Amino acid sequence: MSNLNIDSVKQRTFDAIVIGSGISGGWAAKELTEKGLKTLVLERGRDVKHVVDYPTTNMYPYEFEHRGELPIDVQKANPVANRCYAFKEDSAHFFVKDAEHPYIQENPFDWIRGYQVGGKSLLWARQTQRWSDFDFEGPARDGFAVDWPIRYKDIALWYSYVEKFAGIAGDKDGLSHLPDGEFLPGYPLNAVEDYFKKKVLDKYGNRHIISARCAHLSKPEPVHHQQGRAQCQNRRLCQRGCPFGGYFSSNSSTLPWAERTGNLTLRPFSVVESVIYDEQKGKATGVRVIDTNTKEVIEYYAKIIFVNASALNTNLLLLNSTSSRFPNGLGNDNGLMGKYVAFHNYSARISAEYEGLQEFTTDGRNPAGGGYIPRFRNVLKQETDFLRGYAAGLSGFRTLERDLSGQGPQLKENLLNPFLGPWHISSHMMGETIPKESNYVSLDSTQKDTWGMPLLKVSVVYDENDHKMSKDFVDQLTEMFTIAGFSNIQAQTNTRVPGNDIHEMGGVRMGHDPKTSLLNKWNQLHACKNVFVTDGACMTSTASQNPSLTYMALTARAVDYAVKQVNNGQL
Amino acid sequence: MQRRSAIKNLMIIAGGIAILPSCAKDKEKGKASIQLNNLNIDAEQEKLLAEVSEAFIPTTDTPGAKALNLHLFVLKMVDDCHDKTDQEGFVAGLSELEKLSEKRFDKSFVNCSVKERGEILKDIENSKNPSGKVFQFYKIAKDRTIQGYLNSKYVMTELIPYELVPGRYNGYFPVKKS
Repeated sequence: MSNLNIDSVKQRTFDAIVIGSGISGGWAAKELTEKGLKTLVLERGRDVKHVVDYPTTNMYPYEFEHRGELPIDVQKANPVANRCYAFKEDSAHFFVKDAEHPYIQENPFDWIRGYQVGGKSLLWARQTQRWSDFDFEGPARDGFAVDWPIRYKDIALWYSYVEKFAGIAGDKDGLSHLPDGEFLPGYPLNAVEDYFKKKVLDKYGNRHIISARCAHLSKPEPVHHQQGRAQCQNRRLCQRGCPFGGYFSSNSSTLPWAERTGNLTLRPFSVVESVIYDEQKGKATGVRVIDTNTKEVIEYYAKIIFVNASALNTNLLLLNSTSSRFPNGLGNDNGLMGKYVAFHNYSARISAEYEGLQEFTTDGRNPAGGGYIPRFRNVLKQETDFLRGYAAGLSGFRTLERDLSGQGPQLKENLLNPFLGPWHISSHMMGETIPKESNYVSLDSTQKDTWGMPLLKVSVVYDENDHKMSKDFVDQLTEMFTIAGFSNIQAQTNTRVPGNDIHEMGGVRMGHDPKTSLLNKWNQLHACKNVFVTDGACMTSTASQNPSLTYMALTARAVDYAVKQVNNGQL
Repeated sequence: MQRRSAIKNLMIIAGGIAILPSCAKDKEKGKASIQLNNLNIDAEQEKLLAEVSEAFIPTTDTPGAKALNLHLFVLKMVDDCHDKTDQEGFVAGLSELEKLSEKRFDKSFVNCSVKERGEILKDIENSKNPSGKVFQFYKIAKDRTIQGYLNSKYVMTELIPYELVPGRYNGYFPVKKS
């Protein structure tokens, strides 16, 4: 009997545990297994195998019962998920349904989640830009949050490392505030985007429009073929999962790579209830897992633990990991865990038309989505009445238009003979928000979910800085569109509530000082060194770049450090 | 195996997708030919809608709305993807259309000539009362018929082929001068 127990404990003991299999968890799994560590990856949702579990991926539009639209009862039952642009008939199976995983919105907050192997890496918009020191030095220069404990030089090589493996399409643009990376060929701007780029550069000199940098294999390298991935085929049906592996996801890339090492154990249907802290040893010894099907509680043990549960769930899990040493959550000596949550300000967008360039249109589809306008506000110095700035997406396209009036043979004829309309141009802002103590998440003291986990309370709102920034985006883009001779300029503000950007960050921030931060410069909990947090929860500030690439680089960097520490007996 | 193919045989293909038929018993009572969960539509009304859809997109040298079962697609969409207000307006407007036909030509819409049907529909489209039920019906029926047509398997494979795998992007594609 006791032998059996010993065997059982042995079977549940690994070198490393990774909580979560999304974009950062997948990277942790790849790096740890490649370095020879027996690694257990815990995923709360079901398994999703590359290609095999993409049921809609090769469906034609007419094969969808509602041609892509979701039935109204599904929409009404899922007000949160339904506000995500990608929640449609072809991809709804990759989204968390509102009723299954409730949370408490103290203020309106769209918490968009994908509970399955691969997480939201199946669904992401695949935009990937590096940060620069203008971003890492932001909090120190402008006096908010705390100073980042790292600078660009600390992460530059890790950006290169993850870019080469993931495959990032982009151009070398030579911008000091948006460093170039290891790029596959970029997707060129189209006629109207290119025209706009030239007009804007002529007028301002320091405002750039570049090809959007994205995690697509425009021209795969041998390392991508080794992953079993092929060139992106411009389908732009990415949210269904890609049978070519044309874009980067945990499912197409890092997880199968980790599996091939023979060191990976993947356990789906596993909610981590808490990280187990051993007071004698002064470190974490493992995790307590609830099997979501049987509700059985099982403990797993390891030397090091990577928490990659997605930003807010990482907060939830650590706050729930209480012990007599850490009554307020693992590593939460200063009471700041869950606080200083931030996001990206997506509250405005603008569109216009252009009558020129009638001699061109587009053919095929651009997986990058078009152009990217790097931040141009307050970059070198403070110049507006709000802090920080915004990047923006830009895309131009010509629609096929049809005369829909009347009925009969003429209408039929008109439907079958569409004509090209003017160019349409649209842009959406992606603004940096200022992390504040008053934007926080916490655990509800009474309400629990189906598995007994406390419900997360989210209290995150826009502030005056966000509103000023949103107005500035509209003003500046209106000016830029006007200079380019665009017409019918229409701005929309207050379009999206916090969270709908799906870039929630912070709560377990990095910093120099254990009194004011939770993680050190290696993403280790200051107070529990064998626990690493490398998903969005670790972010000290948000910058205006899409965050996933930075999570990947921070994860690879932290694993490298962690394994060295394990090997020299420090952990 | 046999049961599966039997079910398959019972499927109605509307614009390229299979729709479950209602059971044979219902048919005797004059129910719609497909299973509807929210709409109360009988066989007569279904027939009327089929003629309306056909009036929008008639058979010419290529198949029209009836041949592609677009009226069933309209019913499916109104049943699943519209709210109660739309559904009620749709059903009420369909009856009103029939009344308009009786009033104007003293016969049911289905017995009207193509020209007469066209006049009735044109009048509704140009009506000054876009909030009226018949207009509400007209708008939904027309939009969904057009959607079903352009997104039908027939159109997407035979007339305006949809590319699932383009494999290319050109942002400076020259427009042919017509």
